[in-house]
Amino acid sequence: MSSVDSVPEISSRIIALLGNPNVGKTTLFNRIAGIRAKTSNFPGTTQDARHAQCCGAMLIDLPGIYSLDLEVSESVVCRQVLDGDLAPAGVDAHVPNAILVVIDATNLMRNMTIVAEAIAKRLPMVVAVNMMDLAKRQGIHIDLERFGECIGCTVVGCSGKTGEGVDELMQALDSATIPDRSAPTELDAIEAWGDDIYSLVAAARETPVNDRLTDRLDRTFTHPLLGVVTFAVVMTGLFWVIFKLAAIPMDLIDAWFGTLGGWVAGLLPEGPISGLLVDGIIAGIGGTVIFLPQIVLLFFLLALLEGTGYLARASFVIDRVLRPFGMSGHAFVPLLSSHACAIPGIMAARSVPDPKDRLATILVAPFMSCSARIPVYVLLTVILFPDSPGMQAVAFTSCYVIGVLAGLFSSLIVRRTILRGPSRPMAMELPSYRFPDLKAAGMLTYDRAMMFLRKAGTLIVAISIVLWWLGAYPQRPQQHILFSEDTTIEQQQRIYREFDTRYTFLGRIGDTVQPVFEPLGYDRQLTIGVLASFAAREVFVSTMAVQVVGSDDAEDDSVLASIANATRDDGTQVFTRATSWSLLVYYILAMLCLPTLVVTAKEAGGWRWAWLQLGWMTLLAYSGALIAYQAVSLLS
Amino acid sequence: MIDHAQSNAHTSGSIPLTQLTRGQSGRVQIDGAATDEIKMLRAMGLRPNASITMCRLGEPCIISLSGACGGGCRIGLAKEIAGRVMINIERQSETQPDGQSNG
Repeated sequence: MSSVDSVPEISSRIIALLGNPNVGKTTLFNRIAGIRAKTSNFPGTTQDARHAQCCGAMLIDLPGIYSLDLEVSESVVCRQVLDGDLAPAGVDAHVPNAILVVIDATNLMRNMTIVAEAIAKRLPMVVAVNMMDLAKRQGIHIDLERFGECIGCTVVGCSGKTGEGVDELMQALDSATIPDRSAPTELDAIEAWGDDIYSLVAAARETPVNDRLTDRLDRTFTHPLLGVVTFAVVMTGLFWVIFKLAAIPMDLIDAWFGTLGGWVAGLLPEGPISGLLVDGIIAGIGGTVIFLPQIVLLFFLLALLEGTGYLARASFVIDRVLRPFGMSGHAFVPLLSSHACAIPGIMAARSVPDPKDRLATILVAPFMSCSARIPVYVLLTVILFPDSPGMQAVAFTSCYVIGVLAGLFSSLIVRRTILRGPSRPMAMELPSYRFPDLKAAGMLTYDRAMMFLRKAGTLIVAISIVLWWLGAYPQRPQQHILFSEDTTIEQQQRIYREFDTRYTFLGRIGDTVQPVFEPLGYDRQLTIGVLASFAAREVFVSTMAVQVVGSDDAEDDSVLASIANATRDDGTQVFTRATSWSLLVYYILAMLCLPTLVVTAKEAGGWRWAWLQLGWMTLLAYSGALIAYQAVSLLS
Repeated sequence: MIDHAQSNAHTSGSIPLTQLTRGQSGRVQIDGAATDEIKMLRAMGLRPNASITMCRLGEPCIISLSGACGGGCRIGLAKEIAGRVMINIERQSETQPDGQSNG
């Protein structure tokens, strides 16, 4: 794409795509931009910014909005971009060189509001009448040329799905001009104007399509009983697929990073560089990448479900459950995503329209039991019910249920105190049921995965390095310890490891902090394990393994058995029944993930929300673990 | 009218959306100040004289925006919002024999 008169600076020409939700704007954007599309942020907002340097211009896919004249965050962002005050991160903001208004051929009348508002901006403009293939099938005919004459700019019919008309559209954008007609600015006048133009350019069925199948599906999916059952079945299936399928690549990733770490350790002499590379950087990167299979699967399947039109109906079903607790049905996807990892879940909260609903969702998302908790749940349920796989499964499931209940309870408290006010009732367009677009789902998943790696990856690696350093330094000076004759080699090695650990910063912090955890039944080893979990929760198991047996191979059954039988300094068992229950409750409820805290601060708009989240979850976890420990101790 | 004072008497045969039966059609009646909610609903298609058909009562209330837009579109509204939308009944049609309320 190039200007006729001069060679433009490639990066400075901006074309903004504007349109209602569900008009296929993003499909069209993806068709034009392809793999050049990137997702970043609009600075100072929580809105995603999809953009692509393409065809001599920066294409910006603005959020779908019904009108520029609304006080919702999406409309505010669109106004700012069109006024030249905002652009995606890394793009110089200025008034766009052209607006591409994307409208739905099957819903023309309603789209006229955004057309009128775009004309009022007095910028070069082209209108893309999308979904022409669908309109044809529904017997809708639109006189595109006449439409262009009515509004004073070029109108192109296209289909983002099939690619029809896209080349013509790009040529039209090349020579886009400011509309030579004006449009009204007042809502009543806009609607009358839109009606007049519609009657001139469109010919369609006057009677509504009698869609019995859609009616039946809607009634089923939103039924108070059937809707909930359907939802439970779909979600159970989703989770089963995610956890089953993701296990294979996760094991491969684990093995690969383990091999890589071992290879690097073999190449370098033992020392700080080897430690930093193997236990800091490689372990940190591995600890991030291992989440990818679940996140990729989750977002892909959710995108497919959304593409079928089912998710919109499911949001209303879950809205009934969430609204009494101060959240809306829009919180459903963020909370579900948090079961893989709270970081993409918190980022997904951007889709919640009401600011208070969004904040409540962000604050409680970490209560959803994420994948990182699974190794801890597995260890503790096996310790608690060693000979009963059935009870292990019940306990495991109960952990998830307790997390959800704690989240709902916390949201209720927050919405009755600091975020007072009712949850905004939902009003949402229900898209038609259709087969999902695999390519669009794939591109969305790729975007989300890259965003996770960029945001979470850097954080987790940085925090892993810091925690590795705290756990490795300072190193105890070489000194010989005199043991009694009956001390075995194994016991001697364990005592040396214990002294090494206690000498480090992490060990000293553990020694200092341990009295706080004493009422919960945690000794120094458990306290250090809990503190180390701040990098990543699953680190607890490998930290315990290192302390107890000197190996961090948490997959080894013998290592797990050794952890289960670990003894304290006084010879008593570390994992008593009471301590195990206390630890389980603690891990369900505690905020033990610094990367999540950082993302909360960013998405919620300040560190006070992150501190609130940390404080509240710590209080709940401590109280719950204390009650569990004391109650089980009494009963025993 | 889209009216936040539910005590207002129905005028000109208009009733709240929540009182339509399944399959019943009507036209949206707008009156009163343009609040944020009204602007949002109008932008979504619930504009003065828009023809709607009730598809599902209860929570959510699902309506179809029909009339001269070909395929039309469906909007889901929480019952709370639906109760504030006033409709002029144009005809009784396609009332289902198995009752009106869906929950």
